[in-house]
This record gives sequence, C-alpha cells and structure tokens, in this order.
Amino acid sequence: MTQANKKRRVDLYALTWRLPIIVWQFLFFVGPLVFLIAMSFFVVKNYRMVETFELASWERILSRDYFWSSYLYTFGMATFATVLATMLAFPASFALAFKVSANTRRWAMFFLIVPFFTSYLVKTFSWYVILAKTGVVNSLFGYLGLGPYTLLNTWIGTMVGFMTLVLPLLVLLQTLSLSQVDKNLIEAAHNLGSGRFRTIFNVIVPSAKIGLIVGALFCFILSFGDFVSPYYLGGSTPQTLSILIIDTTKSGNQWPRAAVVAICMMVTLFVIAFTSIVFAYRKPKS
Amino acid sequence: MIKDGVISFFLKAYLVVLFIFVFAPIIASVIFSFNSDRFPTIPLGSFSLEWYKLIINDPDIAKAAITSIIVAISSSILATFIGFCTAYSDYRYDFRFKGPYLALALLPPTVPLIIMALAMLAWLSKFGLSGSVLSIVLAHTVLCTPFAMAIIRLRLSQMDTSLEAAAWNLGASEWSAMREIVVPFARPAIISSLCLTAAVSFDEFAVAWFVSGLNKTIPVVILEIVQGNIDPRVNAIGTFVFLTSMTLVIIAQVIFMKNQNKGAVSG
Amino acid sequence: MVNPDRPLVQFKNVVKRFGNFVALKSTDLDIHEGEFVALMGPSGCGKTTTLRLLAGLEKPSEGEITLGGKLMNDVKAHERETPLVWQSLALFPFMNARENVEFGLKMRGFNADVRREKAIDWLERLGMEEFIERDVSQLSGGQRQRVALARALVTEPKILLLDEPLSALDAHLVIRMQGVLSKLQRELGITFVYVTHSQSEAFAMADRVVIMGDGEVMQIGTAREIYRTPKNRFVAEFVGRNNIISGTVTSAHTDTLIVNTACGDFTVSKPDDLVFKQNDPITFSVSADLVTIDVDRPETDNVVQCNLISEEFVGSVVTLFLEAADGTELKVQVQEKELQKINPKADIPYYISWPTLSAHVLDANLPG
Repeated sequence: MTQANKKRRVDLYALTWRLPIIVWQFLFFVGPLVFLIAMSFFVVKNYRMVETFELASWERILSRDYFWSSYLYTFGMATFATVLATMLAFPASFALAFKVSANTRRWAMFFLIVPFFTSYLVKTFSWYVILAKTGVVNSLFGYLGLGPYTLLNTWIGTMVGFMTLVLPLLVLLQTLSLSQVDKNLIEAAHNLGSGRFRTIFNVIVPSAKIGLIVGALFCFILSFGDFVSPYYLGGSTPQTLSILIIDTTKSGNQWPRAAVVAICMMVTLFVIAFTSIVFAYRKPKS
Repeated sequence: MIKDGVISFFLKAYLVVLFIFVFAPIIASVIFSFNSDRFPTIPLGSFSLEWYKLIINDPDIAKAAITSIIVAISSSILATFIGFCTAYSDYRYDFRFKGPYLALALLPPTVPLIIMALAMLAWLSKFGLSGSVLSIVLAHTVLCTPFAMAIIRLRLSQMDTSLEAAAWNLGASEWSAMREIVVPFARPAIISSLCLTAAVSFDEFAVAWFVSGLNKTIPVVILEIVQGNIDPRVNAIGTFVFLTSMTLVIIAQVIFMKNQNKGAVSG
Repeated sequence: MVNPDRPLVQFKNVVKRFGNFVALKSTDLDIHEGEFVALMGPSGCGKTTTLRLLAGLEKPSEGEITLGGKLMNDVKAHERETPLVWQSLALFPFMNARENVEFGLKMRGFNADVRREKAIDWLERLGMEEFIERDVSQLSGGQRQRVALARALVTEPKILLLDEPLSALDAHLVIRMQGVLSKLQRELGITFVYVTHSQSEAFAMADRVVIMGDGEVMQIGTAREIYRTPKNRFVAEFVGRNNIISGTVTSAHTDTLIVNTACGDFTVSKPDDLVFKQNDPITFSVSADLVTIDVDRPETDNVVQCNLISEEFVGSVVTLFLEAADGTELKVQVQEKELQKINPKADIPYYISWPTLSAHVLDANLPG
C-alpha cells in the first residue's frame, strides 16, 4: 500500500533539483568530450588550431608504428596489472570477508578508503626513492648480500605504482562482494564434501562474480589511463598512451593528434567495459 | 581443524603484508620528510626540519596552497550542491530517461583523468577560460559531483519516504519541507560530502596540471618538482597534504558514522 | 454525536488510477461530523489510497472530493487541514518531542511563544509532561505515538486521519492506545478517519466501519451489522470465523428457503432485499459463535455430522475446525469451559447445528 510520493507533472520545484546536473554535465563533461571528438578533425597551422574537418591527424597517428607499439604496451601492461592485482587482492579480500571479525573488517575498510585520499604523486615519489639503486629496498638486499637490482625505469617499477593505485580499491570492491556471498551456500558445499579450493572456485567465485569483474574493470581503467607510474617509475620507455597524449599536447602542441589518441583510448575502454559488464551479468549456464 | 587454523593464520599474515605495501609509501614519505638526507636510504640520516623550513619560506608554494584551498572550497561547495540536487531528484522522483540521467551524473570517474584533462583544456581554451583558477574549479566540480551525489543519496535512502509528506500534511509547502526537513536530515551527509570532495580536489593533479596555467595548485607544484630531480621538499609538502586530506576524511567519516543510525527508517 | 444531515467529507464517484492499476474504483462515501469511521480491508484494498486522497497526497483521477462542502480536488496537501497520523509515525528525527508538535504551528506562522505553549499543552494533555524536551529517538513506541497524535491535533483540525497508527505497537499497548484514541475522539468531538486491517481495532473504536476490498467499498455499517449480517462473501470471509456454505434453492416458502448443499439440506430465513426462485444458486453464512456442537445428534434442522480436525485456543474462546463427510470445512466457537461437555477426540463423530435465524444469505451479485 505504499504509493511512492512521485509526481507525474514536472513542476518548477522538481526542475530546480533535476536541472543543475544536466546543465553542468552538458557544459563541462559532455561538452568537452564531444569537443574532443570534433578536435580530432582539426588541424594545426602555424602553431594555431584551425577548426575544420580533415582526417590528417587520424591518418598520421594510425599510420605510425610508435602509436601501435605504445597501444600494445599500454594494453598489455593494463591487462597484466589487472590479472596481477586480482590475484594479489583475492586472498586478502577472502581473509577480510571470511576470516576476520566484523569489527576488524570495518576498520580495514576504513583504511582501504584512506589511500584514495592521499596524493598518488607523493606515493609515487616515495616509491621512487625507496626503489632507487641506493634506496631502501636495495640497501635491505645489500644486508642479505644481494643486488643491487635495477627496479626503477623498468616495468617492475610501473607495476609497483599500479598496485599502489589499484589494490586498495580492488580489495574494497572484492571484500564487499565476497561478504555478500550466502554463508549457508559455503556451509552446504562443505557438507557435501567439497574441498576448500573447489568451494572457492565452484561456489564463492561464481556467487561474487559481478563484484570481482567490476573490480577488475576498475583496475584496467585506472592502469590503462594512468601516466604517473609509467612516467616516473617506468621511465616512460616504452611510452604509454597517456604519456603520448601529454607529450603531444604539452611539447608538440598537437592537440588534434592527442585527441585521436584519447579517442582510441576511450573506444578501447568502452569496448572492454561493455564486454565485461555483459560477461558479469550473463546468466550462468546450468 | 588445525589445517584450517594454519590457513587462517597465513591469510591474515598476507593481509598484513598487503596493508604494509599499500601504506609503505605514505609512511615512508612522512619519515623521509624529517630526514636530513637528500637521498634517504637505510640507515636513515638524522632528524631534521630542513625541508619544512624550505617549503614554508617558498612563496610559490604558499601561493599554490592558497590556490588549492580556494579551488577545494569552491568546487566542494558546487559539487555538493549539484550532487544534492541530483541525489534528491533520484530519491524523490521517477521520470522518463532516469537511467541516462543517472549515468550522466555518475560517469565522470570512469573516464581516465588524462583524457578529461585534454578535453577540458581544449574546451575551456575555446572559451578563453583555460589558465584561470575558475577553470580548475569547473573541472574539479565535474570530478567531485559523483562522490557528493553518492554520499548524499546514501543518506537520503535512510529517510522515511513519509517524512516529507508528513511535513506537507502539517502545512509545509514543498519548499518549506525541503528547508525544514530534507536539508536538516541530509546535513551530516552534506558535511561529509563537503569534506570528501574538498579532499579529492586537494589531491587532483592531472586535470589541474593541464588547465591551471600559471595558477598552480599544490599537486601541480609537486608534479613539477618531481619532474626535476629528487627533492625531499616533496615529502614535506606531501606530509602537509596528507594531514589536510586525512583531517577532512576523518571529519567526514566521524560525522557520517555518528549520524548513520540516527533518524534512519526503523521497524 | 453523529449528524447525518451534513456530511463533512463526501467522495462522489472518485476513481484513482496509478498508470494502468486502478487503486480505487468509482467510490461514493459520506463521512459525518464527529464520527469515528474505520476503513478496513486487506492490504491493497484501497483504504490507504482513500486516506491519501483525503489528505491531498494523491489527486483523484475522476470524481469529486468535498470537505465541509468545499471542492478539494485541486487544493494542495499543505493548504488542507487534514492532519494525518502515519503508520511509520514519520516523526522528524532531528527534532525533540516539542519541536515535532510545534511544526504545524510554525508552518502556519504562529510566533514562538504561542507555539511553545500550545505544544506543551498538548503533550501534557496526552501524558507526556516528562518528555517534552526529549529526543524522539529516546522515546518508547507508545510515547512516540502520543507525540504523533499531539503533532496532528495541535492545529485543532475538524478531522484527523490515522493510517494504521497502532500497527507497530505491542499487543498490550494497542489496547491502551485504543482507549486513549476513543476517549480523545469523544472529548474533542472531531471526525476520526481510521485506516486499519485489524478487525478488533476497527470494531472496538469505530461508529461506522467501511469494509474495502479490491479498490471498492464492500459494506458500510456498524460493527454489529458487519459482524452479524455481512453483505457478501468478501465481507463474510474477511470478518472471519464465518461458515460460508453454497448450494441451490430447492423450495421457497413464506419466510424460509430450503437449500440443498454438498453437506446436507438447510433451512434459511428469506432475506428482505433479495429474491430467490427454485434452482437459484445461493450462499449463506453462519457465524461460528452461533453454531452448537454436540456428541449426540440433536433433534433440530440444520445439522451436519463432522469429524474434528483441529482446535485453536485464544484465551477462553476455542475455535474448533471440523470437516463434513463431503470435505466442507466448518468452524465452531465455544467457551473453553463448555469444551469438557463434548470431550473432543478426533475419532468420534460430532454433530453441529444452528438455528435457522442464524443463517444469513449473502448477495451473490455483489463482488467478493
């Protein structure tokens, strides 16, 4: 009998609350992104951007090997980061969801939110110092008679940065979805004689599928778009797409070309996001 | 049973290791900021406030701090206002195209910052706005609104749907009911949202770097220092930024938690 | 108290649709000044919709609603004087008891001193003098109830709407609050429109009960009328503890009809307002408390032999559930102390019977 107090006729009052986001997002979110697409067809003449419709920037970027190698490297790194982070996060999320008290879990969740509000740049700089040839890690290895190892300006450095960026969010999302798995289901699987690992992979993972996939998707989006770790910890060789955008924009002043790279990134992310969401919500075959 | 205990132990130990990894750079940065060495390693050098003295006496950093504070305050107020409007619309009304409406509101965090930065730079330059403090405020508002919306929506979902109707029933117009009932009910979330969006804005560097021009914010200054060489001033600034953000986050958390059960729908 | 000449509230052909769903079919309803009316029915019957229409929280899709002779269709909720006591109470959680009560006065522009005085008056009147400045979250269910009542009554309305106000209370508190409400209504002499699904609440307090089902008014009458002479099958079933028996008329006499059913032949009194011919289908109800149960077959009309299926004790009243040879289920209500006479054992046959006058013919043409 609860008839929600929802009105059909749009009135001044309703519009007052509904319009701000529409206006704002069209002006400063949709507008810029649409303009980005338009800009990819502009050309730069005498250091000035001319608003026209030419495919020059598209032809230029898509025909260059450095773009494609950069694309493959970025895609590969993001994929690897996603797989690595998912594997690293899962045992921790599993422990948080099933092995600790509710109170510990609440605190852990709070501490997983904290890194989100701490400067990623400062953390990256910190890693830069820690991972350097004469840094903390190598001096610890030194005590063991090992090293020094080159960790900076390699893919290892980039991965350390990516993990700092994505692990807190990923553990948070995984824990949330794992703690929603019906405990009775797990109990039932145990009673039916299912072993630990079989229970995890046949019962828990499928039940928490959506959360796990959404977590992995965020991982991919973040690592695919990040420029800080590949630049400062990975030494920006090979270049990732984000670094390509920065270089093209900041030094080359070739905004249309940067726009082409940005659109390629957006399309890639859109396809990945769409596929994973379809996959996440697909009904399991019985 | 013993085996279960062992597995449990290792999982918990792993959890601790993971948390150490996540917090290592933050803690290290704080420690390094008090360390006399330009290039910290083990064993650490002596305790020193040198880096703090350097940044306190640096007029560029002071200017950036002021810009950052102005941007954080302005964009958190704008984002919280727009987020509140959107959250209330979603709570109260059912309308056509509500799905796309909410998507429009919540999508910004899924766009990589570097792309937002480029798009904002191009768009704002077109209108002659880039390089101004205003342009950072506009961009940060876009980035912060989804968080504001989410926090306030969560609070509104705890509001008994008949609360507003009860106010009308007692003679309050829709506007009065908003002022007397909805806003006071959402107040803890509004304060949390102001704090959290200010913290997000205070830490954001990519978009700010692209659109800020000469009006640098603190994170942009950090970015530029880092581009140069190893400079422990970053740790000192970082510690200052960290403390600011943490204060905001903790205030937000405490206010939100304290009021979470108060006035929630019961029974 | 009841003044039949001038209805305070009139519903004329009021229809309420939500999209394709018809919440209220064409409804006529008069509510008089000073009357305690209960709207009763199962959930989804349209009783809350009726109340919300009256409060202006919904607009009628068709028809007219008048209050004190004034057409209310386009009057906004906040411009009406129809305070409502909500099922959830809807107390404002960030205000204390007094501030809650003051709210309606504040919205009507009373100054702070008057507001305060009136609010305290009402809280005291309802026995809340110790809790005037208490946060509503620190009040018990019954106390919150009183704050909600004071908040609704402080503006001295002509009519008070109540939407299942006691549904969240413990059983013993419900009885007490029923007393409080009845007394208050008599003292104030204002109209109460009370929505409930609870028969005991409606029958205990209301001057008139409106039974609603499936978006329609099924019957309006006093508690006794509805209990003893349900108009149709819906009411008979909803009021409960009625034996409902269907069959065909085999012969019609001056005052009685003979009805043939699967569990035997019965005599029923001819209803005043309905006409039956031979072979017409007919349904009648017999209230379970008017049925007698015996171990030996009584020498009267209207006897059915049955087996005992189960018993239900509610205080000193026992309901026996029985089954006739053909499977018809029958109910008998007896006092617990009379139960010993028949020594209930499931495996002996029992005979149940009722006087012809107790059988009440239902109107098959009415919905239900």
